[in-house]
Amino acid sequence: MSRAPVPTQPASRSTAAAVGALPSRLIATFSGPVGFALKIALLSIVNALSVWSLTTLASRDKWVPFIVLALATLAIDGIYLMRRAFPLKFLIPGTIFLLGFQVIPVLYTVEVAFTNYSTGHVLEKNEAITGIQGAALNQPENGRTYSMAPARDANGKLVLVLVDDEGGRAYVGTPDGLEPIPSSAIRRDADGAIVSAKGYRLLKGSELFGLDKQITALTIPTSGQKAIRAEGLDTAIELEPVLRYDRAHDQFVRIKDGVVFRDNDRGSFVSAGGQELEPGWKTGVGLKNFSRMIHNPLVRGPFLRVFVWTFVFASVVVLLSFSLGLFLAITLDKKGMGLQRLYRSLLVIPYAVPGFLSLLVWQGLLNDDFGVVNRGILHAHIPWLFDPNWAKVSVILVSLWLTFPYFFLVSLGALQSIPSELTEAAKVDGAGAWQLFRKVTLPLLLIAVAPLMIASFAFNFNNFNNIYLLTGGGPATDQPIAGSTDILISYTWKLAFAAGKGADYGLASAVAIVIFFIVAAISTIGFARTRVLENVA
Amino acid sequence: MSVVERTEDAAISRPKAVARRLRGPKWFLEMGWRHVVAICACLFALFPIAYVVSAAFNADQSLGGSSLIPRHVTLENFRAIFRTSQPAGSEFLPAHYVRWFLNSMLIAGATAVATVILGALAAYAFSRFRFKGRRFGMLALLLIQMFPQLLAVVAIYLIVLRVGDVFPVIGLNKPTALIVVYLGGAMGVNTWLMKGFFDTIPSELDESARVDGATPAQIFWGIILPLATPVLAVIALISFITTLNEYVIASVILQTTQKQTLPLGLYQYIDQQFGKHWGPFAAGVLLAAIPAALLFTFLQRYIVQGLTAGAVKG
Repeated sequence: MSRAPVPTQPASRSTAAAVGALPSRLIATFSGPVGFALKIALLSIVNALSVWSLTTLASRDKWVPFIVLALATLAIDGIYLMRRAFPLKFLIPGTIFLLGFQVIPVLYTVEVAFTNYSTGHVLEKNEAITGIQGAALNQPENGRTYSMAPARDANGKLVLVLVDDEGGRAYVGTPDGLEPIPSSAIRRDADGAIVSAKGYRLLKGSELFGLDKQITALTIPTSGQKAIRAEGLDTAIELEPVLRYDRAHDQFVRIKDGVVFRDNDRGSFVSAGGQELEPGWKTGVGLKNFSRMIHNPLVRGPFLRVFVWTFVFASVVVLLSFSLGLFLAITLDKKGMGLQRLYRSLLVIPYAVPGFLSLLVWQGLLNDDFGVVNRGILHAHIPWLFDPNWAKVSVILVSLWLTFPYFFLVSLGALQSIPSELTEAAKVDGAGAWQLFRKVTLPLLLIAVAPLMIASFAFNFNNFNNIYLLTGGGPATDQPIAGSTDILISYTWKLAFAAGKGADYGLASAVAIVIFFIVAAISTIGFARTRVLENVA
Repeated sequence: MSVVERTEDAAISRPKAVARRLRGPKWFLEMGWRHVVAICACLFALFPIAYVVSAAFNADQSLGGSSLIPRHVTLENFRAIFRTSQPAGSEFLPAHYVRWFLNSMLIAGATAVATVILGALAAYAFSRFRFKGRRFGMLALLLIQMFPQLLAVVAIYLIVLRVGDVFPVIGLNKPTALIVVYLGGAMGVNTWLMKGFFDTIPSELDESARVDGATPAQIFWGIILPLATPVLAVIALISFITTLNEYVIASVILQTTQKQTLPLGLYQYIDQQFGKHWGPFAAGVLLAAIPAALLFTFLQRYIVQGLTAGAVKG
């Protein structure tokens, strides 16, 4: 969430004095053996968790995280067991989470933005090569066939018991290869199906069907890059590769016709004719994701439209909410007006209800057939959520409803802090009501409220909920992925997680970085105005 | 921020005597129109809420049957959302409302409590210690916070996906994973707000405790935290409501219906069931809104201060 921090209210000194007696008692509770025991208990938990994680990491051969974690744990133990008062003792807990789930994700976002990470490009290159080799197998003419029975060996590992249909020789096939076993170990029934195999437990019934996928995926390498694979549940066939990987030239050759597939530097092997082998792999693509936003018409179209709408949405919502909030504040800020307190509490209610609930409720109220706005209030048939333009109006209207109480509260406070001598003096000088507002009230008010407007703009710029929970970003347009009310953040989310054609993590991260620069620029202006940085001294 | 300080007293306390009673058109020009505007604004602010309350008690469960005043008052809608089995002959899919509610409360509650503790610890270090890198640390917090977690959602998803391979406890579909991710945003603004408040607690209090032999940890838990209760409560509440509202990160980490939070669950529920089950939906909204709204009203005075200081509630 985007916020512009400023120091808060001073703690009142009288409370400090009043509670003065309490601390000494609390200190007594936390000092001595009790405090020490608490500290040791917490440290023990941290160490236990760490040791458990270290064993897990070691068992998976993840040595880099292993070393990092081990060193970090040692450092933490050292710091907390030292007697000296260390600011680090207070900074470490939050920093761990900050590093792990804020700093690292940010760095990783930057990394991904310069890659082609997307559906079909998730593997490393060597994994992709293995994948291509595994996928590109074909049954040769007159290839060997086997009678097969899936079984578990003495260790419970899934294997295939195979009998060559021609020679009648028996084998056990594992992902490591083919191993001959004496044919006497195998009994077959009249149809040739394998009934039992000595030393192996054949799989039957539901256990067999439950393992369907694993059995189909089991590839048993044989000589000359050939492989045996199950075909159904009782036969297996020998397959030979369609493609040959030429390690020296880092390319695939189609054995049949000699067509060459070369690494295209963008994570795929591609033939001269443009045919692409799947899967591809993850690789750096430089600024391509960013240049796509400008040069690729399929990306540029939706991106630019969404970009403009994001600005329109955020600024209109902030300006309207501020205007309405200020207007109401001026209206209610009148000495001697009755019911002020009641009005004030009622107007704040939309702000007190969690936003996601209000948004979902509004979705129902604006339903074009049954919603009360059309049916009960306007007696009209306005397609609030299903027409591109009306949907934009709805999104702004509902956001106004959610946001104006904030500006109402803030403006009311700011109005009352304007010294009445100033307004009185202006009146004496003959200023009219409008002049008074334009020349005295508004400028003074903006000193306090302008930074908040900037913070609110930055917040609404990324206000995923106000869009997605109301319209889902829709209604759909003729452009891919982006709907009529999508803002940049909901567009990013859809690119990565909701697109029908597959996820494009690279492009999504690139858009996220663009959003960051915009919001950072806006926030910097906000910080400059609040002069918050002076507080660092 | 004296701006808002006066809101309560000045706006609300009525002057002892109004100089003269205004009447007729003059009264309207001075006062009357203000009431008209205020009443219109209240209607705009409250009509959605009025419809929800009414729908929650309305015997007609459909969206089309909702009205401002329920024709037949019933508690059936509330019973419906607590029912886990499907009543015979009904198309009503048992919504996992209770589960979503508990998931949300657990995740938002744990995040709020941990956020306050982590933020306060760091704020104490920045407020009471003078050390190398202090200025850098505070600026770094500010800068990192400019890149909200929301934007890093793709990276967070990919990280949780891979970490979960080794440690399923913080993998996909685990509430613990979501809480831990949210805590990444615990420092930052909160630390700034609390540091500002801690700075105003007179350091003589620490001094005298230190003379009595108290360690910094004892001063923190024994003096600073109890005195900072109001600001801690506000940050806890803002963090609670922000977490409760959070959709994006929750949507990529929590994947099965049973594990989801209220925003995710209700969004899918209305997507499929809207027209027919508006009543139970409204009952669910009402139950979820009441605790948050009560807390908000209760802490309003402090929240307004926090808001002016720049916190934006989602």
